[in-house]
Amino acid sequence: MSEPPECRRHLPGRRAFLAAAGAGVGTALAGSLSACSATGGGSSKGVTLTFSWWGNDDRAERTERAVRLFEKENPRVRVATSNADFGSYMQKLATQAAGGGIPDVAQLDYRQVSQYAGGGALLSLSAALSEGAIRSDEMDAEFVRTGTYEDEQYALPMGRGITGFAYDTRLYRKAGVATPHPGWTWREWAAANRRITALGERAPDGRTVGGANDGGVNEDVFEVWLRSRGGRLYASQTRLGFTEDDLTEFWTFCDDLRDDGVVARAEDTSQATSTETSPMGRRLAAADFTWDAPFPGYPALLGEQVRFAPVPTTGGRQGAYFKPSMLLGVGAHTEHPKEATALVDFLLNDPRAGDILGFSRSTPPNRTIAARVAKTLKGAELDIYRYALRMEEYGLDAPPTAPPRGDVAIQTAFNRTYQRVMYGLATPRQAARELIDEAKRELRS
Amino acid sequence: MSTVSAKAPAGADRAPGPPRPGGPKRRRVRREKQWPAYVFLTPWMLGAAVLTLVPMAVSLYLSFTDYNLFEAPRWVGLRNYTEMLTEDPRYWRSVGTTLLYVVVAVPLKLVLALGAAMLLKNLGRGRSFYRSAFYAPSLLGASMTVALVWRALFNDGGTVPDLLGAIGVDSGGWVGDPDLTVFVVVLLTVWQFGAPMVIFLAGLQQISPDLYEAAALDGAGRWRQFVSITVPMLSPVVFFNLVLEMIQSFQVFTPAFAISGGTGGPADSTMFYTLYLYERGFTASHMGYAAAMAWLLLIAIGVVTLVLFRTSRSWVFYADEEGR
Repeated sequence: MSEPPECRRHLPGRRAFLAAAGAGVGTALAGSLSACSATGGGSSKGVTLTFSWWGNDDRAERTERAVRLFEKENPRVRVATSNADFGSYMQKLATQAAGGGIPDVAQLDYRQVSQYAGGGALLSLSAALSEGAIRSDEMDAEFVRTGTYEDEQYALPMGRGITGFAYDTRLYRKAGVATPHPGWTWREWAAANRRITALGERAPDGRTVGGANDGGVNEDVFEVWLRSRGGRLYASQTRLGFTEDDLTEFWTFCDDLRDDGVVARAEDTSQATSTETSPMGRRLAAADFTWDAPFPGYPALLGEQVRFAPVPTTGGRQGAYFKPSMLLGVGAHTEHPKEATALVDFLLNDPRAGDILGFSRSTPPNRTIAARVAKTLKGAELDIYRYALRMEEYGLDAPPTAPPRGDVAIQTAFNRTYQRVMYGLATPRQAARELIDEAKRELRS
Repeated sequence: MSTVSAKAPAGADRAPGPPRPGGPKRRRVRREKQWPAYVFLTPWMLGAAVLTLVPMAVSLYLSFTDYNLFEAPRWVGLRNYTEMLTEDPRYWRSVGTTLLYVVVAVPLKLVLALGAAMLLKNLGRGRSFYRSAFYAPSLLGASMTVALVWRALFNDGGTVPDLLGAIGVDSGGWVGDPDLTVFVVVLLTVWQFGAPMVIFLAGLQQISPDLYEAAALDGAGRWRQFVSITVPMLSPVVFFNLVLEMIQSFQVFTPAFAISGGTGGPADSTMFYTLYLYERGFTASHMGYAAAMAWLLLIAIGVVTLVLFRTSRSWVFYADEEGR
């Protein structure tokens, strides 16, 4: 190429920019893998543990205080802490695992247990449990089992969460819909949506307020619906527990409600990323399916008339279940397994730690601590506490074991695939087939 | 770096007269003098090896494995590639979305950049101000912040749908409409036409005014001058910009990531190739699959670039090729 001389200084040659383009693809991948490790190792006098978790500032502040108390009790042990928001925490932990070791003690998501235990990144805690180094006598045995993988205990639940239904009591009353109770049905829920939409209430942007958010994008809602019919999401670590027909039926049900205009519109559903941006958060819908831990965000945003209710059932069979909102595990490569298990036990069972941590990870699994902390609760937090008691009384089916390692990807695929239904790019059956194909590939690897 | 030939120039031996003084000796000195260059190049070579070549080699190896980041990679041969090409409808959708984007965004951006450069060229005072003003978006554009502001502009109740509504076009929010989202990203890219514009401007200033004067004397109008002088004289610069923008467009990521909130939605309408690659690697923990995608992208960009270079012979005109 013979450019004028002035240009030649500025323009890279053909080879240079080909190379740059090629390198760009490679380095983009390599560059985003910047691992960062917490400070660790042993000090001259004693032991240093690393401990990491995700969560908001309130949770971080409380966790730090609990950790300091642990250090005071165990002068030989120093705990180096690190925390981040959920998304970056997940990637960081995966990178650390790839680099040969997660922290001594790490907070885990339910979906990670199988992946990390199967990948040899977690230490088995079965012995610590049977020897009493980690006490579980004040926890529900079924619930403790959620931290197992192939019959070995690899993690212990830190908080107990449950799905529920956030709804605007004022609109429900105005539409003449009965207060949702633990035995109400999906059909009643659909009818409630129609009646609320028929009110013709105006949202701030002038549109009609619909009955609810569209549950079709939400794998958790599908699971609750499936369980209420006696089904389950996963039959094993490698097999789905539902069929194409099941999913087609569920998505048809959601799709029809949206076509009738009684649940949120497609563009509002696809743009929802948080409580604030969801149709209910934008006052476009009267209700939403949500977990108990984030529920207090709704009354804070919309007012005290928003309350927490049970999810609908099929013929009275409740699909909701108690699920560990997060778990604690010990890194397989820890040099101080004894101290690490002591920290796990302290965070879960020490009454003073319980007081400090409160409901910052939803209901503590230790019953005694939960009951004590509950006495201090107010407002929305009290609402979710009472809801849990009520659901226990009503009787729920046992929770499933930890979902298989592919579930993280299947959950996002679920949302994405239903969006094709919302926008009329696929029928519920086509979408169901596509989701199942993808899920099978995910479970195969 | 110019390589020093160890061979004597052709014909040196047959040169009449005495041999050139210091011929062989000087050659040896020259060769000895090369080592400082390599010493000075060492840091760069180490950097290139450790930061580029090794990761690329590892990435190529990983593309033949099943690797979820914390178990050892399992060799699966070509399975990632076959699964991608035969079993994954989303892969092909992401290819289609990316191609649509490249085909729309690149020409639009270049036309705008050339138009702006033509306007600026004939501007007397204030040229440097406007040049900076038009270039500013390119400086800001790659940032997450601008993409988020852009999203807000086109969102439900955002500025653009409101303005369109005022003139009677009811478009609704663009971000929630799968048919329009991709164009939100296209417009964001096109708006950053500053870099090719500056290069076009440099190219325009290289064209000798004599040519225009001669053409004007022959009675050529403005359009005729543009078609017969500006376009051919500028074609090397057009070609350069075209290749560069094409390569960049295939790798579009940040605006789509920000506008779709990292999901590639709604309904996969902004699921560009790189976004899908990221999702496979970091959300679904299929690093092997993501690496395989990266290599196919590299090959695809290489092929398209090669095609552009091959076809360039028929439309790119270099001033020193006159009489072709």
